[in-house]
Amino acid sequence: MIGLSSRPSTKRNLTAVILCLTAAALMVVLLSLPLFHFQSVLFSKKSGNTFVGDERYIAASAEVTEAAAKYQAHQALGEVSITENVTERVNSKGETTSLVTFQVVLSSSRNGWQIMASSLPFGGILRCAMLLLVGALVLMGVSLSGGMLNESLRALPKWRKSLRGISCWMVLLSLALIPITAMNTIRVFEREIIFRLSTPEAAGLTELLRSADLFLYGGTAGEGVGDMLSGLTYSSTFALWAMIPVLFLILASMVTLCKGELKSTLASGALYLFVIALCVITLYPYYVMVITAFRENSEATDMYFTHMFPTKWIWSNLADITKRGVLGYLMNSLLLAGGATLIALVCGIPAAYAMARMRFAGKKGFLGFVIMSQMFAPVVLLVGISRLMNTLHLNDSLFGLMMVNAAFNQAFAIWLLRGTFVSISSEMEQAACIDGCNTVGALIHVLLPMSAPGIVTTLIFVFINAWNEYTISTVLISTPAKNPITVGITQFSSFNMIEWQYLFASSLLATIPVIIMFLFIEKHLVSGLTSGGVKG
Amino acid sequence: MNNILVRHKWEPYLWLLPSIVLMTVFVVFPIAIVFQLSFSEISRSGLVGSFIGFRNFSDAIGDPSFGTVMMNTLYWVVSVVGLSTLLGFITAMVLNKKFVGRKIARSIVVFPWATSLVIQASVWNYIIKYEYGNLNNVLLNLGIIKDAVNWRASYQIEFMWECGIGIFVTIPFVTFCVLAGLQSIDAAYYEAATVDGAGFWKKLRHVTIPLVKPSLTVSTVLNIIYVFNSFPIIYTITKGAPANKTDTLVTYLYMLAFYDQKKGPATALSVIGFVILCIVAGVYMMITMRKEDEL
Amino acid sequence: MKKLIALLVALVMVLSCASFALAEDITLDVIICQYGNNTNDWFLGTGMNGSNFVKLFEEANPGIKLNLQVVSWNDVHTEVSTRISNNNAPDILNIDSFTEYVADDLLMPVSDYCPEELYNDFFPSFIAESVVNDVVWAVPDLASARALYYNVGMFEEVGIEVPTTWAELRDAAQAIVDFYNGDVYPWGIDMTTDEGQAAFCYMAWSNNGGFVDADGNWTINSDENVAAIQNMVDLYKDGFTNPNPATQTRYDLQDMFGAGKLAMVIAPNSLPTYLAEKNYTDIKLATASIPHNDGAVSGSVGVMDRIMAFKDESAPDQAARNEAIGKFLSFFYDPANYVGWVSMEGFLPAVNSAVASLVEADPSFQAWLDVLAGCQFYPATKTEWNDVRVGIIDAEQRAINGEDVKTLLDALQATVAK
Repeated sequence: MIGLSSRPSTKRNLTAVILCLTAAALMVVLLSLPLFHFQSVLFSKKSGNTFVGDERYIAASAEVTEAAAKYQAHQALGEVSITENVTERVNSKGETTSLVTFQVVLSSSRNGWQIMASSLPFGGILRCAMLLLVGALVLMGVSLSGGMLNESLRALPKWRKSLRGISCWMVLLSLALIPITAMNTIRVFEREIIFRLSTPEAAGLTELLRSADLFLYGGTAGEGVGDMLSGLTYSSTFALWAMIPVLFLILASMVTLCKGELKSTLASGALYLFVIALCVITLYPYYVMVITAFRENSEATDMYFTHMFPTKWIWSNLADITKRGVLGYLMNSLLLAGGATLIALVCGIPAAYAMARMRFAGKKGFLGFVIMSQMFAPVVLLVGISRLMNTLHLNDSLFGLMMVNAAFNQAFAIWLLRGTFVSISSEMEQAACIDGCNTVGALIHVLLPMSAPGIVTTLIFVFINAWNEYTISTVLISTPAKNPITVGITQFSSFNMIEWQYLFASSLLATIPVIIMFLFIEKHLVSGLTSGGVKG
Repeated sequence: MNNILVRHKWEPYLWLLPSIVLMTVFVVFPIAIVFQLSFSEISRSGLVGSFIGFRNFSDAIGDPSFGTVMMNTLYWVVSVVGLSTLLGFITAMVLNKKFVGRKIARSIVVFPWATSLVIQASVWNYIIKYEYGNLNNVLLNLGIIKDAVNWRASYQIEFMWECGIGIFVTIPFVTFCVLAGLQSIDAAYYEAATVDGAGFWKKLRHVTIPLVKPSLTVSTVLNIIYVFNSFPIIYTITKGAPANKTDTLVTYLYMLAFYDQKKGPATALSVIGFVILCIVAGVYMMITMRKEDEL
Repeated sequence: MKKLIALLVALVMVLSCASFALAEDITLDVIICQYGNNTNDWFLGTGMNGSNFVKLFEEANPGIKLNLQVVSWNDVHTEVSTRISNNNAPDILNIDSFTEYVADDLLMPVSDYCPEELYNDFFPSFIAESVVNDVVWAVPDLASARALYYNVGMFEEVGIEVPTTWAELRDAAQAIVDFYNGDVYPWGIDMTTDEGQAAFCYMAWSNNGGFVDADGNWTINSDENVAAIQNMVDLYKDGFTNPNPATQTRYDLQDMFGAGKLAMVIAPNSLPTYLAEKNYTDIKLATASIPHNDGAVSGSVGVMDRIMAFKDESAPDQAARNEAIGKFLSFFYDPANYVGWVSMEGFLPAVNSAVASLVEADPSFQAWLDVLAGCQFYPATKTEWNDVRVGIIDAEQRAINGEDVKTLLDALQATVAK
């Protein structure tokens, strides 16, 4: 089986295996180095109006030294030291005030093995990562056993191939778990321990505190662990972050063994990473909207909130907003957007047809007119529009609002529809015309069915713009019951306080229908834009 | 040509009539009213007075904030349109490739487009609050940061956030315009380029970009107009504070008209904005469409 | 073509419908500002014992219809000025300012429509705040008084007293920053376009400064005022305040105060109601007077909003219209309705007849009424007031971004005194 072509692959495989083993050895070294430095404040004393050397200072200092002696028991776990911080200020009356802070500090560090031995959550995560790594190395070893190093990939038995594939995934997972370990230490210490120690309700903390005691103080702190932990500071070391490139080396060598080459795998990895990041960022505001919509008001503005999701999902927020007229606003918006879309299409289709199929003087002029009509923001035109509506007696009517929205979307509708019509050959229509059908008939019976995607796209565009319109509605509509949803939700951000939960619950109701619509036409959207947009 | 025969000379105009009537009544009339107002005296309460020539214009331009606001508008339009076009283009290139979950990814990318700007702006306003904002909460809970970060430490940073949100909501539109352009490219062009030994960058420069250009032109022109006129993001997040340093022309003139009670200069500013837009969009279209036979 | 015709027909129909709407009933267009979550419910929903203001009013006053609209403070100026531009002003308006409408001769004098009995019921000092050219143009609808609230627990922990002077304020702030390592902001400032003018008053009125002198001339660039803003800027620069005064509104400050992130805040008397509603339960707070500069006394700040009636030359029967407006006011200020309105959002009343039952319900109210009696109000009777308000906020925001206070105030004085 050893052909000419397999020789380079043998060499490559060998390099990969050596690289992999070296990196694994490096991992063991890194695990034995300190990964985290910890500084616990064992005892702290703040003394106001105390000056260095005076009675109070000596008393406090003696108290601190005594405490330090008591804590010498921890010496075995790290170094105990006393720090002293004096803040002196001259106040407005010319008196010097002073704040002396004494602290007894225990400094220690922990290496990978110690962390893995701990029952704290991040210990578990690191254990997982290392088990995955070891597992991957073992599986890879099995798949390589029996001289398979020389085998070309194509000739490899299926089970060996899948073993290699699995080990790649395991290393990838292990790689991802390293930053998660680092993040989890911060989460555990900052949010779950220190933070909750300072807030009144701290249920379910005992177990965690005991593990932390074992990990940091060898179980010697006992009852006092809370006080000691509340003054904890810590930092990660270079060794922890060095694990990431080392693991990446292992991953790269395994991918080489598995796929034969690295570049395309990395490229598709980068592609997925990009797509995932894109989706996460895009979805993030919606996550915020959802979790805030179902929280209690006090929780939505809680500055010390330690959860990612509501502690209690308040579904009744939905009922509350319906009591405040949100369903009516939704209906208004539906009517408004539907009506505006209809009017925009009814006026836009003939115009686009003429633009696409007919020659006439002033074509360019009309186009300029259409584009110019888009240049003014509705905000800018508020006074003008409202005056006009007043003269037409269309103030405070949804119909008037429909007309304005339709008018402001004419340009886009005409542009898209014209593009669609241009992309469709006129032969069929001409044939229809010869058969005795008039131009209107040709348009309705021949062209429109063929340009369905373009029309759907236009429809959606106009609908969404009208659905999302805000400024004109605020001014034109004065009866609250006629408000569209975008205006209706402003009642939740009143002068007195913003009710985020209601604001976002109704925002959610206003967003979901549009998103669902978008999901249905996503496929048409691109093809509609293709026919409409490309030919410009 | 793709034209059909027209029996009467006036027929095309008949087809255009509904559209023209609609736009004349509901767009052109208000514009005319605004032009008229910009040369009239308007009282604090909103009463329209007599013709006063260009005084509204000189008042508007003479305001010390005018320069700041124009610079902000420039930054705002250039950064939002420029970066969203670039990022939208990259996103479209990626979403045009075949991969598992492409349909889902495409559906998700379109979300910001489907959400009202008022709502997006409120959500982001909540997210970047220092004290109880969700960004701090999430980053703290994930353990990415140790202490809450003041994401709004200065007005420059707040303005950057506003631009960022503007980019965020504009990307989907660009993406889908470019995707449409990409899908219409015949695969044969790429095959030919591959045969010629062209790499990724060469294909991008000589095949993709020229063929996507029409879509890009349209999306850019429309974006310039929309972004220039965009109002809710800045109004919700900073209202132009401090001292108009985060205002763009549109939010500034809104505050001027309805908060500072200076409607005369505000209408003058809207006319100025209109003229600027006409020039910019016109020049852009002339440059990019010179070679095209029609539009 | 058919569609176009249909469209035109629809237009004509709408036009004709509008002109048929004339009936014998008098309809009053009313715009009310949204003070809080309950405003809308009280006027239009079910907030008045299951019914609402409009329904009850129309039952009690047959022949008068109310077209009442509750508008948020964000939009109310837009709404009103657009309507005025279109010669479509409301009949009755509830808002903070009124001089711009007087200047354009849009308002009716209060004496034209307000019943004698009701007129005498208003606190005279409040009525005086709506007089321009010796004519009363608006009536107060409610008021609120501001005081310094501080977190008692925090002050005990740090071991400091409530500051009474600016110097003591700095000492206390320094002590709080030192003690909490900067985790707690000592002092709250709201320089936003919402209420930046109030921040100025808190400092200037406690430094013998202010907007106008005894003769009513603008004195914006007085040394006292410069010192007042400089004091704010110094507090901010030294890290003694909330981090973003230009975008953090009073409600943000109140939230921080409730959560124990802010030690002192100047807020209206409704603060305890607000904190209770938002579930900030474990905070112990107390009030004190606003710190003053050496050689000055602490000033108290009052804020009041107004109700006014617009002229309508087109009304067929002016007398009947005036009477209807009077009936609206009488019904609104009837203690049976008004007490509920004022206490709902924790405001202070503007009429004597409401005092008795309010004090009975909550004895602490009396103290606030006493504060209110000594309050200064914004010079809202002066035509340039809005320019000054906007200008002073602009100056504050520029000052914390490093511009010179004196120059800023000189410039503002020059524009308004012109």
